[in-house]
Amino acid sequence: MTDGDYDYLIKLLALGDSGVGKTTFLYRYTDNKFNPKFITTVGIDFREKRVVYTASNPNATTTGKTFKVHLQLWDTAGQERFRSLTTAFFRDAMGFLLMFDLTSQQSFLNVRNWMSQLQANAYCENPDIVLIGNKADLADQREVQEKQAKELADKYGIPYFETSAATGAEVDKAVITLLDLVMKRMEQCVDKPPADPANGNGATKLTAEQPNEKKCAC
Amino acid sequence: MPEASDMINLNLAFLSDSEREMILEVLQRDEELRQAEDLRVKSMKTELLEVRKKGAKRGSGKYSEHSCGRCQESLSRLTVFSSQCKICNHHLCRNCRIALPEGSWLCSVCSKETDLKKRTGDWFYDQRVNRFSMTPGHDLVRVSLKKRPMAKKRETTGEVLLRNTEINPDLPTPMPRVRQKNQETDNNGHVKENSGSIASRESCESKEDVWSKPARSDTESAENNSISSRKTDTESDPVTPEQQRKESPPGSPVSSLTAPIQADIVMVDSTNSETNHSPEIISPSPDMDVDRLFKKSIKRAQKPPESVSTLDLRDECDTPAVSMGDRSRSVPGLDIQEDGEEEEDIDSLVSFHKRSMASSSYSLHSSKSTLGSMMSIYSEAGDFDSVEVSGDLIFSMSYNEPTQSLHVFIKLCHGLAYGDSSRQLSHPYVKCYLLPDKSRQSKRKTSIKRNTIDPVYNETLKYSISRSQLFTRSMLISVWHHGRLSRNAFLGEVEIPLDTRDLDSPHEECVALVAKSASAAPASAFAQYKGELVISLKYVTPEKPTSEKKGKKADIGGSGELHVLIKEAKNLMAMKPGGTSDSFIKGYLFPTKAKNTKRKTPVVKKSLNPHYDHTFLYKDLALEQLQEMCLELTVWDREAMTSNEFLGGLRLSTGKGTVKIGKAEVEMDSLGEEVSLWEKMMKYPDSWAEGTLPLRSTMVKGK
Repeated sequence: MTDGDYDYLIKLLALGDSGVGKTTFLYRYTDNKFNPKFITTVGIDFREKRVVYTASNPNATTTGKTFKVHLQLWDTAGQERFRSLTTAFFRDAMGFLLMFDLTSQQSFLNVRNWMSQLQANAYCENPDIVLIGNKADLADQREVQEKQAKELADKYGIPYFETSAATGAEVDKAVITLLDLVMKRMEQCVDKPPADPANGNGATKLTAEQPNEKKCAC
Repeated sequence: MPEASDMINLNLAFLSDSEREMILEVLQRDEELRQAEDLRVKSMKTELLEVRKKGAKRGSGKYSEHSCGRCQESLSRLTVFSSQCKICNHHLCRNCRIALPEGSWLCSVCSKETDLKKRTGDWFYDQRVNRFSMTPGHDLVRVSLKKRPMAKKRETTGEVLLRNTEINPDLPTPMPRVRQKNQETDNNGHVKENSGSIASRESCESKEDVWSKPARSDTESAENNSISSRKTDTESDPVTPEQQRKESPPGSPVSSLTAPIQADIVMVDSTNSETNHSPEIISPSPDMDVDRLFKKSIKRAQKPPESVSTLDLRDECDTPAVSMGDRSRSVPGLDIQEDGEEEEDIDSLVSFHKRSMASSSYSLHSSKSTLGSMMSIYSEAGDFDSVEVSGDLIFSMSYNEPTQSLHVFIKLCHGLAYGDSSRQLSHPYVKCYLLPDKSRQSKRKTSIKRNTIDPVYNETLKYSISRSQLFTRSMLISVWHHGRLSRNAFLGEVEIPLDTRDLDSPHEECVALVAKSASAAPASAFAQYKGELVISLKYVTPEKPTSEKKGKKADIGGSGELHVLIKEAKNLMAMKPGGTSDSFIKGYLFPTKAKNTKRKTPVVKKSLNPHYDHTFLYKDLALEQLQEMCLELTVWDREAMTSNEFLGGLRLSTGKGTVKIGKAEVEMDSLGEEVSLWEKMMKYPDSWAEGTLPLRSTMVKGK
């Protein structure tokens, strides 16, 4: 698994409240299996998966080509006591699976907090994120309506998926969507004229007076 | 990037033993993955170097723009204007282009480089560095002692934690490997490298001093502390006893003056040292390799002088490399020991390549024929043909408020001299610089008119600049013959100061061209205004004078300290679009053999009047030593991907005698305030000597 025969190493990270199903989600994604038992994650963990990525961005230099992508999927403990440890790992991830439990209103309310944690600790202020409402199969226990979640995702300008680690529904799609966002970000970063990488493109010029850049400087 | 080290200080005491072990196991798996990744990155890097080596145009040579920038095949005349790589601006033959899907193309090197940036994940790490390096609230002392930020660029939390004693009490591999490596490289190396402490790395003495007088070294004390603290954490560390025996100097006294600071550092160190250092000391460090790819080498020292002067801005940039050996070339993250001529060679390729990249995005009006224009009016080697200047230039200048830009309308010239007198030929074009900026960003050119001595241009060259800035500037308009395959020839110039000029009612003006004035090649390093640096110097006398040793350079005669407070810079030159620079100051205290007198301030982004408020600390200096020393401060514009740009410098000394810089004895050429401030500092120890000093435009030594 750890041989270097791949084109890109992409590091994603799942975060969200304890018990929303981050670990089972990733287990479903990497091994296509479901483990209904709840084993709380100690601090951090990760899983790996090799996927083939086909560039879809029409302007990318990579269009039409396929690449072997090695995914390192970091799993974090949702428990508060590990918080300092887990947030320290945020900075190493290129994209984020922000998860909540569709059967828990509280876990949905906490999405806001996770977002601000991300903004503070990720590699840039607006990293690529997908919002994931998990446990979609438990329709009868549902507490969070799709519309509600969709609105929040729209507010942040991020994609939203309702997944089920139990059935596998939308799991792949959510991860692949995130991967696609990250790959596009990567293309954008290198497509800009490298003469001035610190300031980004011309748009930053206009905002040069602002103390904090809203865009990632890349 | 302070976070990296802050993070290591995570308090993990709350973890139970079994939890700790589980996390450790995860981290070790991560380590395996990372090692595979490192290997991969390294091999990709090697590939890129291969591509680069294949006949790229290099900084040390002169090339016709009619030859391919990569393989140097000559190009057909027709293709010249459509054959530039949009990133590096080299003209290229078809074989050296890599097509992009949307129909454009890049040169083979740029394409590979772009690809590499994606595949190595550097697109990500670069952003991350940018973000975290902007975090405010640096502790002065800690920052000044902190190791280079770039070396940690790729460091991950997992990596850091894995080497944290708190989570990994066994500290399995790093130590022995570190030791091995050092013993191979250098018998003395253990002092510097093994200590693995921030304090030692940025140690205030020269390397020489560390070696010759270990008993007095702060490094040692810091190291001992860090070793002992590590020992308490890790009883099973197999190397500790040996190390301690070997390295602790017999009865080394801890310098009383520096003890408080040391204590701080050591606290950080005891948890961090492994973490921070082993990844870079253990050889196949991807950080170094990859950084080096995108940075100029520190070792491209000895280039033939004439090549240096073929580039305009680079006169200032390159000459330091010639006279000062490798240090001015250095970039963050590169001052790790470097060996191998091959790297040097490659780096000069890269730097040339990168250098030309810089021009691409700045000016909307930049000419297509960049390579040709490298032959600048400022080339001190006089690398152009000179002719009897004759003729006039008709032009007008006006300031356009809505667009905040200065318009220079070049109407026509008449009666020009022949650029190629033997064939009575002239292909004249007009070039402008908005002085004092002589860099590429300030250069504008008209088209080239073929075969005429009465060219009509009717072209407007524009400069985006605020009106208030104009008053300190002047417009240098020069006319050149474009020597297609031969050299360009200077046909005349005129300099128009803008402070007194009415820019609101443009009227056409006819001026006679004149020959190069003396000012074209700056008579002194100060002739060109580069802004000022506000600094404050203080020599702190040792509290208890140690045994007086009036030795020379190699001997340390006391434990006094030199404090160099870098307050701010004023009116720096803008290097980035939007009229700003991301500047930092680099300091060296000479003489030194090692690079460990190097100090740097953090980068202050987007300011031409940056406040650094940063102190460089040099320890274990006797007052008398300062007589023979020279403090060199240089201001740089940080470029994340390419080489940093030189913005100006100072050289503080008594201005008498010579100082050993690298292998060369160099005259201390400090002038005026550079001397007076230095002398003031020595005359009044323990008090600040502050001054606002004009920056030199070049660090090249006077003749």
